[in-house]
Amino acid sequence: MNRRLIIAGLVARPVRTAVSIMAVALEVILILTIVGLANGITYDTGRRTEGVGADIMFQAPNSSLLLALNNSSLPVALANKIGEVEGIKAVAPVQIQVNSSSGLEVIYGIEPKTFDQITRGFIWHRGGMFSAADEIVVDDLYARSKGLSIGDPLEILNHRFKVTGVVEHGKGARLYISLKAAQAMTGTANRASLFYIKLNNPDQLNEVVDRMEKAFPGYRILPMKEYTTLMMSNYMSGLDAFIQIVVFIAIFIGVLVIFLSMYTTITERTREIGIFRSLGASKSFIVRLIFEETAAVCLVGVVIGVAGSFLIARGVSAMFPTLLVMITPPWVAKASIFALLSGLIGSLYPALRAASQDPVEAIAYE
Amino acid sequence: MKDVLKTIDLRKTYKRGKVDVEALRGVNLRIREGEIVVVKGPSGCGKSTLLHILGAMARLTSGKALICGQDIGNMSDHQLAQLRGRNIGFVFQKFNLLPTLTARDNIEVARHIHGVVGDGNDHNLADIAELLRIQDKIDRKPAELSGGEQQRVAIARAVLNRPSILLADEPTGNLDSRNSEIVLNMFRELNRKLRQTIVLVTHNPDLTAYGDRLIEMRDGVIVNDNHF
Repeated sequence: MNRRLIIAGLVARPVRTAVSIMAVALEVILILTIVGLANGITYDTGRRTEGVGADIMFQAPNSSLLLALNNSSLPVALANKIGEVEGIKAVAPVQIQVNSSSGLEVIYGIEPKTFDQITRGFIWHRGGMFSAADEIVVDDLYARSKGLSIGDPLEILNHRFKVTGVVEHGKGARLYISLKAAQAMTGTANRASLFYIKLNNPDQLNEVVDRMEKAFPGYRILPMKEYTTLMMSNYMSGLDAFIQIVVFIAIFIGVLVIFLSMYTTITERTREIGIFRSLGASKSFIVRLIFEETAAVCLVGVVIGVAGSFLIARGVSAMFPTLLVMITPPWVAKASIFALLSGLIGSLYPALRAASQDPVEAIAYE
Repeated sequence: MKDVLKTIDLRKTYKRGKVDVEALRGVNLRIREGEIVVVKGPSGCGKSTLLHILGAMARLTSGKALICGQDIGNMSDHQLAQLRGRNIGFVFQKFNLLPTLTARDNIEVARHIHGVVGDGNDHNLADIAELLRIQDKIDRKPAELSGGEQQRVAIARAVLNRPSILLADEPTGNLDSRNSEIVLNMFRELNRKLRQTIVLVTHNPDLTAYGDRLIEMRDGVIVNDNHF
């Protein structure tokens, strides 16, 4: 009977029900897509950085794990000193820049020779390596998303480049220019953002790291496995704070919408509540009925929201191949729980208000 | 026969802004099991207030009110609700059916609230629907029923749990004379078949013929109490 009462209540007010369901669905979509996008970007960045094939990352003191946020403060000449440490096979200086004019694109300024020593070389789809400062190599996903072919012009950071090659994705960045070109663009001659380091024997990682820490105190010397674990596990405090804010805003919107929806419903249904009370319904029966109705709205909203989020993620992947929206089962569960909780919190006051109405006044309500 | 409703110096005062309004000013009353009592009086005389207190819907200000021997003066809200669900059925002037439910669901709501699970096809509901001659209207919504039919559905809802007391507040107030007669005859039939105590509140003098007893009220007190 409760199910019939709830369905009848929801069907009787179709617009209000539809708006409430859509609000809950939007709350879920907001959480899943934004969190999925943030996690996807960091995961993808971590995966691509891991794909470089280095054993150690060398950064200036107090550098960020978000590589694109670091300035170019390392002298390239330091690479020679690092190379002298026992057990190191190759050192590749990289200058990292970010182009945000059409999405968030990471550009690596590289020396092809040293970068190849680390990565064992690019897998070429078309064309070849840049040979001039105004030439650029892009990965296949970027080329597909922008419809680029060899010889096409590409405007990046107010500089016009010519595409000379398309490589398999997964080696750090999506765009590669010469280190000297990157330095010239930022006025940081002979500087790099970081060094990728390859070891003669990866099994001696800890020993080499110990030697490097003694030789270069204060610098961040991070094994790549450690870095990728940090990037892919969402241990980043800045990202966590961002996600918490997004989730809080989504829950807050959900609470407000459900509150408004249930509050107006309770006012509309004052007489109905009076009827229930006259038939012997206790306050807890009224509260339970309203909670169950809210839960029904939230459940439908959650289903639509989760399905919508996956559709949006697929749409984003199709339209922007370089973007990854990572919707994980734990976040689906979290978003669903948050939506249900916000619904229950939002309906708490209206439910208590309905239950505390005077039965005589409620039944006489016009 | 035992008293099912009893009041001793029952008083009820409402606050209207800063003014106290005395709706009941010392009502002493005993209603025995199986009686049909008509409470008559002009508008504002306190008869509806009396009905609400006798139905455990409103709280009294002072005095005593006993329903089936239980003093409701110190009962919690939950206890009052339980008492209502178990012992009392209400019939209102405006029928007060839930417009989104069928007649059957409107009737079964009472049992659901009372915590009894029905299969929607049981004998009690069928008997009552037959008694009230609504068996062929049971799957219609209130908007598809006439006023008389709606009131009969409301009566079915009120008596489904077999309460010992049926309280009706102007039950024919929204009905034409033919439907009024049908409904009032049904009250008599219910009283005879289900042995329920029935209290009818009205300002309509025509209803007095349907009761065993007529109580007249004026200005919050009983001025006449006649047994027929």
